[in-house]
Amino acid sequence: MAEPAVDTNVIKQRLAALKGGRFKTWLQLCAHCGYCADSCFFYQAHDKDPKYMPAYKVIQTLGKLYKKNGEVSKEELEEMASIAWGDCTACRRCSMYCPFGIDIAVMIAATRAILCSQGLAPDALMDAVKNYWEFGNQMAVTEEDLSETLEWMAEETEEEMPGLTIPFEKEGADMMYTINAREAKYYPQDIAEAAMIFYAAGENYTFPKMGWDDTNLAMFAGEMKCAAHVVKLCYDNAERLGVNRIGVTE
Amino acid sequence: MYEFVTGPLAWIAFGIFIIGMIVKVVSVIRLTSQKDKVVFNHWSWGWSFRSIYRWLIPFGSRSMREKPGLTIAVFVFHICLLAVPIFLLGHAIMWDERWGISWWSFSEMTADYMTLLLIAAAIFLLIRRIVLPEVKIVTSAYDYLLLAIATAPFITGYMAYHQWFDYKTILIIHILCGEIMLIAIPFTKLSHMILFFFTRAHIGSEFGQRRGAVTF
Repeated sequence: MAEPAVDTNVIKQRLAALKGGRFKTWLQLCAHCGYCADSCFFYQAHDKDPKYMPAYKVIQTLGKLYKKNGEVSKEELEEMASIAWGDCTACRRCSMYCPFGIDIAVMIAATRAILCSQGLAPDALMDAVKNYWEFGNQMAVTEEDLSETLEWMAEETEEEMPGLTIPFEKEGADMMYTINAREAKYYPQDIAEAAMIFYAAGENYTFPKMGWDDTNLAMFAGEMKCAAHVVKLCYDNAERLGVNRIGVTE
Repeated sequence: MYEFVTGPLAWIAFGIFIIGMIVKVVSVIRLTSQKDKVVFNHWSWGWSFRSIYRWLIPFGSRSMREKPGLTIAVFVFHICLLAVPIFLLGHAIMWDERWGISWWSFSEMTADYMTLLLIAAAIFLLIRRIVLPEVKIVTSAYDYLLLAIATAPFITGYMAYHQWFDYKTILIIHILCGEIMLIAIPFTKLSHMILFFFTRAHIGSEFGQRRGAVTF
């Protein structure tokens, strides 16, 4: 199957939307001084190979996109993807090293969002975005999966803490408890351990049926609509259940 | 020629510099309020000034401490760049003759040494660009041009003061170089003269206020 072509219109729109006071000034101002180089552990770990110095990584990605006004080939985008996803963790240490306070990592993150719009993102991240839309959590855990997992974990703790239940969809609880989807999918014992603490502390809490995944990988992918959807799910369900607080563990 | 470069052209250069900078600042603020509201949402004057202050004093930040050679060169370069033209006796006399405004000035010897220091710092920055791989890889012709624009008034000024070659010609070249620099500031990276304060204030607010870095 042929690879989907590059949609230069979308890239152009995104580039135009990004060019506010911050990006415009940052792109204009970089004095190419090299202060940022030593901040980067990719640069350090590759024996100071200049290819990994932060400013260069921006020049080769977002800088190139602006220079060519989005008219780039698939190959060029793939090269950018390799830099933006593979050679940077967007840790922002370089942003703290820049004398002008240019937020270098934010520019890489913006590049990632553009790449994502062209289907160039790690598969796991793309899957997560799909799952957020479909299931409300990144790991495609259904409502039934969750409620069964909670029941199972309550049973598991029976010997240690008789009478423990894990509240699910309890209206008017004080706190709505949210977790990483990984706990429901792979590490349910984490849920059990938290439940034991809540039980011992006499906490009035509940799991909701939706909006309980407090990760937001869509934000990493720059899929802002999906990122907003994830946050909204959480707040909507907290309002529906009438809780006072949302407990966030991530 | 001397009358032209010190008369109409000087007016034009100062006019472009001042109006250009005002336009620059206003347009940055306008564009930010239109498209980057997030900057104002997290704005903090305290963190802004703290960040600006730490980056205006030598070795005030970690990255400056990690590259002491560059830091010394950069501070020497900037301090001389700003102070020499303003506090040079020859310049002060001109202001006094034309406008009747006078202020304190350096002794001629101090200004002479400061000019040499600036030129030395510029040479350091130039060599760094050529020699260090991590600087070379991001350097373009534009960067050399900017360094030339910023340094030329001082090299020619030094030559004029010491009356090398034909004094009158060198003096005119010196004045032209200064005017080119003034005109270039609003249109090039040299605009960091003002924009530095904006970008630093933003990142200071970002890492201080927004990230809740308060430790006291």
